[in-house]
Amino acid sequence: MTEPLVSIRNLKLDAATSRGTAHILRGVDLDIGRGRIVGVVGESGSGKSSLASCLLGLLAANVRVLDGSIKFDGVDLLSLGEGQMQAIRGTRVAMIFQDPMTALNPLFTIGTHLIDVIRRRSPKVARRDALARAEEMLRTVGIADAALRLKAYPHQLSGGMRQRVMIAMALLAGPELLLADEPTTALDATVEAQIVSLLQALRRNISGSIAFISHHLGLIAELCDDLCVMYGGMVVETGPVADVLGKPMHPYTSALLACEIGDDREGRLVSIPGEVPDPISETQACMFAPRCAHAIERCRGEVPRMRTAADGRKVACHRFEELA
Amino acid sequence: MTKEAARYFVSRLVTTVLVVFGAMLLLFSLTTIVPGDPATALLGPQATPEYARRFIEDMGLDQPTYIRLAKFFGNVVTGDLGIDVISGRSVSAMVWSVLPSTLILTFSAIGLAVLLGVPLGIFAATHRGSVVDHVLAFTSVAFIAVPSFVVAIFLLLIFSIWLDWLPVLGAGREGDFWDQARRSILPIVSLSLAWIGFIARLVRTSMLEVLGENYIGTSRAYGLSERLVTYKYALKNACIPTIAVLGVGVGRLLGPAVLVEIVFARPGIGRLVYDAVTSRNYPVVQGAVLVVVIVFVVINLIVDLSYSAIDPRIRRGTTSQSQAK
Amino acid sequence: MNALREALVVLRRVCVTFAGGTGFIIVLAVLAFALFAPWIAPQDPDRLDVLHRFAGPSAEHWLGSDQLGRDLFSRIVFGASVAMAVALTAIAIALSTGTLLGVLAAFLPPRSERLILILFDVILSFPNLVLALAIVAVFGPSTTIVVAVAAITLAPNFGRVARAQTLTLRNAPFLEAERILGASGWRIVVHHVLPNILGPLIVLASMDIPIVITIEAGLSFLGLGVRPPLASWGVLIQDGYQFLSDSWIPVVVSSLTLAIATLGFTLFGESLRDAVDPRIGRER
Repeated sequence: MTEPLVSIRNLKLDAATSRGTAHILRGVDLDIGRGRIVGVVGESGSGKSSLASCLLGLLAANVRVLDGSIKFDGVDLLSLGEGQMQAIRGTRVAMIFQDPMTALNPLFTIGTHLIDVIRRRSPKVARRDALARAEEMLRTVGIADAALRLKAYPHQLSGGMRQRVMIAMALLAGPELLLADEPTTALDATVEAQIVSLLQALRRNISGSIAFISHHLGLIAELCDDLCVMYGGMVVETGPVADVLGKPMHPYTSALLACEIGDDREGRLVSIPGEVPDPISETQACMFAPRCAHAIERCRGEVPRMRTAADGRKVACHRFEELA
Repeated sequence: MTKEAARYFVSRLVTTVLVVFGAMLLLFSLTTIVPGDPATALLGPQATPEYARRFIEDMGLDQPTYIRLAKFFGNVVTGDLGIDVISGRSVSAMVWSVLPSTLILTFSAIGLAVLLGVPLGIFAATHRGSVVDHVLAFTSVAFIAVPSFVVAIFLLLIFSIWLDWLPVLGAGREGDFWDQARRSILPIVSLSLAWIGFIARLVRTSMLEVLGENYIGTSRAYGLSERLVTYKYALKNACIPTIAVLGVGVGRLLGPAVLVEIVFARPGIGRLVYDAVTSRNYPVVQGAVLVVVIVFVVINLIVDLSYSAIDPRIRRGTTSQSQAK
Repeated sequence: MNALREALVVLRRVCVTFAGGTGFIIVLAVLAFALFAPWIAPQDPDRLDVLHRFAGPSAEHWLGSDQLGRDLFSRIVFGASVAMAVALTAIAIALSTGTLLGVLAAFLPPRSERLILILFDVILSFPNLVLALAIVAVFGPSTTIVVAVAAITLAPNFGRVARAQTLTLRNAPFLEAERILGASGWRIVVHHVLPNILGPLIVLASMDIPIVITIEAGLSFLGLGVRPPLASWGVLIQDGYQFLSDSWIPVVVSSLTLAIATLGFTLFGESLRDAVDPRIGRER
C-alpha cells in the first residue's frame, strides 16, 4: 500500500486555560490514505476540531504543540515555519468550516471570496477568467443563477447556499487534503442531507483526500471510506468504515453505535452513562475507563496504545482481543 | 434602492428636519425668555429709546409670539437670517463669508486625524503589546483629554514664540496660498490631535475585534497573505465604527474650532460668534448657531447614508432573502 | 454595606493599572485642592500686589505671580474649587434630570417616548460650546449659566443610557413578580429599577467630569464663563494668554494644570469603565 498522505504520530496538544493546562490531544496516531475519505467522529471535547486546526497550523494563541509529528506527504508540518505553512494553506490543504453564517466576510461579494482563492494558485489570472471559473464552480456545487450569486453578499444567501459556496471555495483551491470541520452541524436536517449528497457527487471532482469531522455517525457512514473514532483527546479506533461499524472493537465505538442506532431491547433511548472527560485531568489511564462497562484494573492504571487489530484496523484498548 | 433602504433614508431625513426645526424653536424661544424687553436685550444698553422703538417696529417685536415664530420659520426657510443691527449687513452674508474658513479648518483637522490615526491604529492592532502600542495608548488618552485650545496655546508657545518656526497669528494674506497654508498648520494640528488619538484607539479596538472573527479565520485558512487579510478584509470591516464616529466628529469639532480660531486670531464662525456674543448681537449669534447646527446635522445625515455604500447589509435591507436552495 | 464593598473592589481594580492609578492620584489631588483650598493655598488668591507683577517662582510666590501681583499657586488651588463645584453641580443636575426623563421614556407609550427622544436629539445636535454661546448671548455670562449649559448638554446622554438600561430591565422576571405582588409603579422604579441602572450612569458621570471642566474652562477663557471674583483655570489661562509678552509662566502653569486635571479625570473615568465592564478581558 502506498504511503498515506497524512501520518500523524503521538500528537500532543496543550492549551493554557484559566483553570489550568488542558490536554486537548493526548498522543494522537492517525493515517489519512491518499484519495480516501476519512471520517473523524467524536463528541465535543474529543479534540477533533483541534486536530483540523493543527493540520492547518492555525492554533489559538494559548495552544501549543507539546510533542509528536504530522507528516504531510513526507514533510513534518510541525517543523515548518509560518511562511512555509502559509504557502500550503489554500493550495495543498483547504478547510470547510462549521458555521457558514460567520465564515464569510459580510462586506465582500461571493465573487471576491472565490477570486481570492483562485488567485492563490494562479496569481496572474485575469479577473474575467477568474470570475468565469468561479461561476462554473458555483454551478458544480449546485447553485442556480450562479452569475447572479457571484455579485451577491453572504447575508443574501441561505445557510445551505453559503455552505455550498464554502465547498466551492475549497474545490477551487484544488487541495490534496480537504478538511471538513462539521460542515453540516449548523444546518437543518433537510439541508444537511443535500450537502451530504453534494459531497458524495463531488467525490469524482476531488482527487485528494478528505478528512470529514463530525459527531454524526450516520453521515460518516454514508460518506466515508475510513473511520477514525476519537475520545478524550485520543484516537481509540480506526479502520475501513464498513468494518468498524459492522464489527466495532472498542467499547466506546460500540456504545456510540448503540446510541445512533436507537433503542435498546426494551425500547428505551440508549446513552452512555457517566460524563465527558475533563481535559485538565492528568490521568495515566484509559480515558474511557470511567464509563466503560468492560473496564478492569489495568484500564485504570495504564494508557492503552494503538495496536493493529486486523488488516487496516487499529484499536487502543487493553482488552479488545477478548471483547471481540 | 430597495424599499427598506428608501424607508431608512426617508426616516433619517424626517428626523433631520425635525431636529433642525427643534433647534430653530430652541433658538427662537431663547429670545422670548429674555428678561426685560427684547429690544434692550438685543440692542444692549447703548440703544436710545427712539432707536429702540423703531427697532421694535422694524423687527416686528411688538407682535404676538406665534406670529413672530411663524415669520422666523418663514425667513429661515427662504434663507433670510435677519439683519445685523449694528452693522446693517445681512446675517446670512456675514455667516456665509466666514463659514468656509471654519469648515476648511474642521475638515482638514479630521482629514489629518484620519491620515495619521488610521495607520497608527492598524499598527497598534497588528503589533499588540509592543512598546508602540503602549505608548500610543497613553498618548492617545492624553490628547483626547486635554482641551484643544490648551493644546493650541502650547503649540503656539512652542512653535511660534520660542522656536519661531511658524508665523503666529491671523489667517494670512489674501491670495497668498503658502502664507495661508503656513498659518493654518498649527490650528489644524491643535484641533486634530485629540482626534488622532481617538481614531487610533477606535481603529485599534475595531481591528482587534474584527481580526478575531470567523471570517478572518477563513481568509487565513486559505493562506491569504497577512497583508491581504489585514488591509483588504479586516480594515474594511473595522472602518464602519470609525466612519460613524467621523460624522459626529465634524460637529463635535465645531466647538473647539471656535476656541482655536480665537487663540490664533483667525477669522471664522468662531470669531463671528464670539464678537457677536460679547456685543450682545443676538441676531448674528442666532443666525450663526443655526447655520452651524444645520451643517452638523446635514453632515451626520450624509455620513449615516454613506454607511450603505460600505455595508451592503444596510443597503439591501437587513433581512437576507432566502430563495430556493 | 454591600454597595460600599463592591465600590472598593472596583476601586482596587482601577488602581492596579498604571493609567487608573495615575488618574486616581490626580483626581484625589484635585479634590483635595478643591475641598481644602483655604488651608492649602498659602495666600489669599485675590490679594493684589502690583509692585510684584509677573514675579518668577520664589519662596513667597511658589509659582510666581500674575499681572496684578496675585499669587498664582493660590489662584490655581482655588481654581480647583471652582472647577469641581461647577462640574459636580452640573453633573448632578444632568444625571437626575436625564435619568428621570430616560426612565420615563422607557415606560411611556411610543408617541411620548418619541417626543422625549427627539428632544434629546435636538440638544445633542448642538455642538456644546456653540449652544453655550447662544445661551450666554441672551442671558449674559454667569456661573449659573455655565452650570446650566453643561447640565443641558450632558443630560441627553444620561437619558439615553438610563432608557436603554431600563428597557433591558423592563421585561426582567423579577419586575414582573413585583408587579404581580401589587407594588406600585413608583416603588418599582425607585427600589428596583434605579439601583440596577446606576452602574453605567456612574461611569458616564465620571467620564463627564473632564468634559464639564473643559466646557467651563473654554467659556471662561472667552470671558463668558464664571465672573470675578471667582477665578477658574479658564480665566487664569486667558489672563496669562493676554499678557504672554510679559511673562510666559502664568499661561504655561495654568494650561498645564488644566491639562493634568483633565487627563487625570479621563484616565480615571476610562479605568473605571474598564473595571466595571465585564467584557474587558477580551482585548487588552
